[in-house]
Parts: sequence; C-alpha cells; structure tokens
Amino acid sequence: MTAYLRQVYVVMWKDALLELRTRERVSSMGAFAVLAGVLFNYSVDTSLVRMQDIAAGLIWVTLVFGGLLGIGRTFHLEAQDDAFQGVLLSPTPKDAVFFGKVLANFILLFAVALLVLGVFTLFFGLDLGSHPLALLTAFGLGSLGFVALGTLFSAVTAGTRMGETLLPILIFPLLVPMVIYGVGATARLLADRPLVEVAGNLRMLAAFALATLAAGAVLFRFVVED
Amino acid sequence: MSISGMRRAGTALTVLGLLGMAFVYWLSFFWVSTEVSQGVAQRIFYVHVPAAWTSFLAFGLCALTSGMYLWLRDERLDRAAVAAAEGGMVFATIMLTTGPLWGRIAWGTYWTWEPRLTLTLLMWFIFLGYFMVRSSSDNPEKGKRFAAVVAIVGALDIPFIHLSVLWFRSLHPQPVVVKPEGPTLPGDMLTLLLTSLAVFTLLFFGLFLLRYALEGLRSGLDERARRASVLGS
Amino acid sequence: MAESHPSEGSAPAADAPVLDARGLFREYGPVVAVAGIDLELAAGEFLSVFGPNGAGKSSLLGMLSGALRPTRGTVRVGGVDLAADGGSWRRHVGVLSHRGFLYAQLTAEENLRFYGTLYDLPDLEDRVPERLRQVGLAGKARARVRELSHGMRQRLSLARALLHDPRLVLLDEPYTGLDPSAAALLRGVLTELRDGERTVVMVTHNLHEGLELATRVAVQVGGRFAWEGTRADAGADFEHLYHRVVEERS
Repeated sequence: MTAYLRQVYVVMWKDALLELRTRERVSSMGAFAVLAGVLFNYSVDTSLVRMQDIAAGLIWVTLVFGGLLGIGRTFHLEAQDDAFQGVLLSPTPKDAVFFGKVLANFILLFAVALLVLGVFTLFFGLDLGSHPLALLTAFGLGSLGFVALGTLFSAVTAGTRMGETLLPILIFPLLVPMVIYGVGATARLLADRPLVEVAGNLRMLAAFALATLAAGAVLFRFVVED
Repeated sequence: MSISGMRRAGTALTVLGLLGMAFVYWLSFFWVSTEVSQGVAQRIFYVHVPAAWTSFLAFGLCALTSGMYLWLRDERLDRAAVAAAEGGMVFATIMLTTGPLWGRIAWGTYWTWEPRLTLTLLMWFIFLGYFMVRSSSDNPEKGKRFAAVVAIVGALDIPFIHLSVLWFRSLHPQPVVVKPEGPTLPGDMLTLLLTSLAVFTLLFFGLFLLRYALEGLRSGLDERARRASVLGS
Repeated sequence: MAESHPSEGSAPAADAPVLDARGLFREYGPVVAVAGIDLELAAGEFLSVFGPNGAGKSSLLGMLSGALRPTRGTVRVGGVDLAADGGSWRRHVGVLSHRGFLYAQLTAEENLRFYGTLYDLPDLEDRVPERLRQVGLAGKARARVRELSHGMRQRLSLARALLHDPRLVLLDEPYTGLDPSAAALLRGVLTELRDGERTVVMVTHNLHEGLELATRVAVQVGGRFAWEGTRADAGADFEHLYHRVVEERS
C-alpha cells in the first residue's frame, strides 16, 4: 500500500471510528429516515395513489434531507481542540484528506440509503422489483456524488458564520441532476422495467459522481487553507 | 487600465448600452412585424433571450476568473469574478421575470419546467449561494476563496443540470404549442434579436466595468485603512 | 535579524538556514496582523518572540508553520519555499499550541497512530509506545483522550507534536494552562530540543518562561519586530526593556 492510500485509509478509519463511538450523525440520520417514513404515511392517501408509484421520489428526498443532516456536520468533531489543524499541518496531501472523509461519509450515507429502502419496504410494503443490484448501484452512485459535493461544501460552510444553514442553499441546486437521474432510475426499477431503460441514468449518475469527486479533490485545498 | 479609466470606459459602455436598449424597445414595439400565432406578447422575447444569453456569459466569465483567482491569487481576478456574478444575477432575474410573463399569455401558465427556464432558475440560486458565502465569512480573503469554489463547481454542474432537465422534460411532455424560437425566424425578427443580443452584451460589459472599478476603489480604501492602522500602532 | 548570529553551543553549519522568512505580511481585510517581518534561523537556535495580545504573534507562527498563507513575503524551511513545494517540508515542522490537536473520542494510542500515519512514519509499532512512555502515559495508551486529566492531555499533545522528530519546532503559548507537572515535562523536553540540531521558535507573553532557553529574543508590537537581539543583548533586566519597547510602540 502506498503512503497516499494509507493516508486516505487512516482519515477514513478515524472518521468512521469517531462516528462509531459518538453515533452522533448516524443516530440523527437514522431517526430522521424512520420518522420521515411515519410522516409520509400520513401525508399520502394510499386510497388515491399507490405508494409503489411515488416511492422513488420520496426515498430520494428523504435521502437528500437526511444526508444533509449528517454530512453537514462532517467538520464539527474536527473543530474540537483544533484537531483538524493538526491534520492540515501534516504532510498528507489535501486531496488524500478529502478522499478519506468522502469515503467515511459515503459509508454513512449508503447505510442510511439502505435504511430508507428498508423503512419503505417495511412500512409501505414496497416491492423492490427484480433488479435489486441495479437499485443498489443507483443509490451507491447517487450517494457518492452527494457526499463528494456535501463534504466539499460542508468544509465551506464550516468556515462561515452561517454554518449549516447555508449548506442547502449551496448544494440543492447542484444536486438536481443527481435527484433527476436517481429518481428516474429508481422509479423504473420499482416499476420492474427492463434494465436497458435505466442504463443511461446509471451512466449519468456515475459521470456526476466522478465529476464531483474530481472537482472536490482539486478544490478542497482552497477551502481548508487559511 | 487604471481604475478611473475603467470607470470612464464602463460609463461610456453603459450609456451606449442604455441608448441601444431604448432603440431595441422602439424597434420591438414599432418596427418588427408581429409574430402570427403568438401575437404581441411574443415581443418580450427580444428582451428575454438576450438576458438569458448575457446571464450565461456572465456566469462563464465568473467561473473562469474565479478559477484563475484561485490559481494566481490576483485580487483583480476576484474583482472581475464578483462584477460578473452581479451582472449575471441581474440579467438572470430579467430572464426569470420576462419568461413567466410571456408564458402566462402563450402557455396559459406563469411557470413551466421548461429546461432553459429551470436551468436559469438554478443558476440564479447558485449565484445567490455565491454572494451568501462571500459575505458570511469573517475573513474577506476566505470569503473570496469560498465564492470562487462555488462558482467553479456551479459551472461544472451546469452541463449536468442542463442534460438532466432536458431528459426529465423528454419524459414529461409539457403543454407547449409553440417553441419560443425556431430556425425559421423571419428576417426582421432575426435582425432585431441579433441587435438586442449585441446591446445586452454591451450593457453587461458596461456594468461589469463599473462594478469592477467600484471594487477597485473599495480595495483602495482597505489599503488606506491598513496603512493607517500600521502607522497608528 | 537578517544576519545569522553564531549561537551558543555548537550549531552545525548547514547549507541553507533552517528557517528563512522574508518580508512577511498578513492582512485580514483592512486589518494588518503582520506588517513586514524578516527572520533567519540556523540549526540550534531558539528564538522567543514576546509581545502583547494582538501583536500578531500567532499569525507570524501560523505563517512559519504553513497554516497561514502570507499576504506577501516568503517562508523557506531548509531552503524550500513553502508556497511552491507540495508540502514535503511539513515532515520537518512540528507545532505545539495551547490547543492540543487531539481527538477526544480516540484513545491516546489511536491519536498518535493516526498522526503517525499522516506523517508516513515507518516504525509506529515501536515509536508510539515509546513516546507514550516518555511522557509518562504508558499505562494510559488505551484510555480515550476525554477520560484523561488535563495534564495528561497536555503531555499527550506534546508527544503528538514531536512524534515525527521535527527539525523545526514552533510553539504557540505552550505554557498556557499547563499544570506544574506538565510544565516541568515541557521544560525538560524543550531543554532536550536544544541539542544544537533543532531550531525552535516560541511565541509567548510570559517573559520568564520565554527567556529561560532562548538564544535569541524578539519583541513583536503592531505586527513588526520592535526589538531584536541575542539573549545576551536582552540582558538581566529584560522586563524593563520589554515594557519600554512596548510602550514606545503602542
């Protein structure tokens, strides 16, 4: 393993370990996902519309809002005792730090995505269709693009007076492509349409994730320097 | 060019642009022929389309100068970026207000998720984020860097937004009877559109230069305050 | 302070000065924190920078450590320009501030292993327990930092700052809030650092502790060095000199 990969790994390991020990973000995101499901139960009249038809949009919106809740706090624990300053003073390249934090956030958000899917299956008897792997790919790629943007911009908002309240304004417009392609793919998969119909969407989600990862890796250093 | 030179050039271009604007208004009310199927309301199109074009030009300029600012850290590049962003926001607002006014008459609804309208709306919000980030940092230099990052990521995202809203629309046909423009634009309409494009671009660069000069004066004031604080201590 | 003084002890002659800062400025909008500082330090030198609050001492140290980008001017560590290089020089710089840079939810050992990996140190298996022993925390390796006493935390952050054996050590008010045992340990470690090979810059407003080990002394007021000289120049009654300089300049 090269030094770069070791550094990426150790940043991810540190963030994951901190999350495992504090459970701050995972518990608020998890509770949000379940409670959103409860609210949806009362905000959708299932005698008029079938949950199966509208679930795709609700799932992605839950993921975006729930994700925002946790990803926005990416740099909170770092601020305690100025620990992140110590990271920035080390010779570790800033993009390695970025990738490490993105990976840790990805694990967190993907877990929440699985939980949201579980909640919808359990609460609303959602049928996940015959291509669960494609469904997971859509959520995986979507989550990756989301955390790449979310990590970069939570570093931005951590440096402003407005803090997390600024985050939705900054990233919602940017997340539109992810939501459109993600919902499009999910809706088709839930409707059990053939895989060829979602291949294009998955490709776009992958391209979006790649572009945001690359942009984040390049721009992160300009955000965290002083 | 010196700051006062910028100011003079900016004033000249702005005056020229405003005069041109009056001319464009006169042409679109009294000269150009009325579009057959849409009637008089179609004339707003000579403001709407150039405003959209100018706002995208401004956004591109803002992202470009932002990227160069992060690279070279020359204050002048940041001044150019903020001047472009402000102009872009103004013209995007014009596009977003004229679009629905026309849509109400042509389509019977103020808002449709027409891809270009949607794209401009999202771009307007990216600009909004640009200014909020800029002003909410205690250290102005940090605010400039953050804003530059917003502009660059926004510009990278624009193609994705464009493709995705187009794709979304292809699935959900809108009750559109006519497209706002087509390749079959009659001669005098095309002439007016091109004239208006030129005038809007001119006006934008006039405002851009004025705003740029203003930022220059502001940083001059900062410099003076710095010198005073160093001498005073 | 442009020419390098032959310091006390035996500093080995290096090709490039360990630390070489030229024309440093740092501005925050209309506020100027550092207004033109030049500094050159050879191996074995120990510089203490004194100054009242708001003199820009921390901004100076931030620029020397590469945490802050100078508005103007350059910093070279071992001849390498901080702005131009990718960051490999950071290996040779250690920073100890009154903030600990520690993760409260990680154990003492995990904190050191984390930073050790960031510095790409090869022998963490041996190095981490050894350093913990040196600061008297061998028995607390698996205790989380938040469970440690204040003094223990300070000793741990000392071990963290010196884990990679930096050639240039930057100290920002290191004695602030230390309990007596941690202060004694810090004094011992700083004395060891005066081995003729290490270079130390300490900023502080505590005259007594700052003078103890210094080979060179500077007084920073209003973003500039208002006075600078060797420890001998500072004389026995430095306190008098210091107050006179500060009053003259403010």
